[in-house]
Amino acid sequence: MWWKIAILLVMSAVIVLAFVTASPMNPTITLGPVDVYRIFYFHVPTAWVASVAFLVAMFQAIQYLRTRDMSRDVRAAAANRLGLVFAILAVITGSIFARMTWGEFWNWSEIREVSIFILLLIYGAYFALRSALPDPETRATLSAVLTIIFAAAALFLIFVLPRVYPAFSQHPSDTIVDSEGQITMGSMVIVIFATSLVVFTALFFWIYRLTVRIGLVEQKRSLE
Amino acid sequence: MPTGSVSWAAKVAAVVRKELVSEFRTRYAINAIVMFALVTLTVVSFAVGLLSPSSEMMAALFWIILFFAAMSGLAQTFIKEEESGTALVLKLSSDGSVIFFGKLLFNLLLLIVLAVLIVPLFIIFLKIIPANWAVFLTGLVLGIVGLAGATTIVAAIVSKATVKGALFTVLSFPVLLPLLVAVIEITTVGFSGGGFGEISAPLQLLVAYDVVMTTLSVMLFDFVWRL
Repeated sequence: MWWKIAILLVMSAVIVLAFVTASPMNPTITLGPVDVYRIFYFHVPTAWVASVAFLVAMFQAIQYLRTRDMSRDVRAAAANRLGLVFAILAVITGSIFARMTWGEFWNWSEIREVSIFILLLIYGAYFALRSALPDPETRATLSAVLTIIFAAAALFLIFVLPRVYPAFSQHPSDTIVDSEGQITMGSMVIVIFATSLVVFTALFFWIYRLTVRIGLVEQKRSLE
Repeated sequence: MPTGSVSWAAKVAAVVRKELVSEFRTRYAINAIVMFALVTLTVVSFAVGLLSPSSEMMAALFWIILFFAAMSGLAQTFIKEEESGTALVLKLSSDGSVIFFGKLLFNLLLLIVLAVLIVPLFIIFLKIIPANWAVFLTGLVLGIVGLAGATTIVAAIVSKATVKGALFTVLSFPVLLPLLVAVIEITTVGFSGGGFGEISAPLQLLVAYDVVMTTLSVMLFDFVWRL
């Protein structure tokens, strides 16, 4: 119980601090209005949580194939459902930022935008397959196999492509580290950003636990 | 597991032979693939015939034609087993890796036939000749190997679903996207006439993709096949 109250308090603190402290971007190298960069405190954690959700889903899919425990399938589906929600949030916050700094809501030459769009397609495909498989065991096995294949493809996209095509990414990579790999954020920015990452992750696991509990109850009822 | 490398290869060859015989009887997959490729090629030719598109554009169009033509035929490999009720007999007769590689090689043969047909027609209709054949063919070969390697297991997954129609394309696209990005890059260089030095990054990506996706498919195939 205490940690749910802690999420409320810390999340409130992050939201307030994100708006009252100095902007995370150095004013001398910004492209647009400096205040726009405050979205960094929320956009990056949502994208991070979408990735965490995908990793959780992949872990649960592997565990399902190893143990054949149907509750693993419920967990994988719950993680994917939340991953979908957070990926949509990341796309929306990213589009707002893109409009304010680069002038367009969407830019197909920006590899990270393309990557998150593909992540959305992956979630869409995952749920399309689930709805086409009526038998629970078949559904669990095939969606677990598909999750692992998608994870391999997503690894190529998210980690390999932006590095193979560095010119494609317009993301302000010097926000976190500069070209020499040194951390360029101010100490206050690091504290708020790290806290935001932690509290978003905690929020994810809270909703995840609730979704899994609902899923397990539904599964139990369908078996009776 | 394979009892010996020779007998394992012979079994795979037997599966490929069986696929070829059944394909020659019905000619379903090859008809679908060839007709789909011709239709898309015609649409593309009408659309851009009077323009002179850049080599980036040509490479993208070339792979769109190949991708959708492949999608129309490759799904059939496992669906036909489920529909005619022969999947069970196939399961009894051999183990998963044999079936997988048999189907994979058959899909690869289909794609080779498709490529042999579509490349000359593309050159004739769209009036473009690859300036560097070596780069172009490297991209083409690695591209169709990856296409077959990554989609064979997706076809096996889709064959169990109740609604099969568009599901294969929907599931395959996210898997194939890294491949398409890399291969379009290589084909662009092939059309415009650059050397291998310009494509080292996408080439590494493509080789890694082909190896990883095929290996992963082999490892996961038994879960789908022994359902």
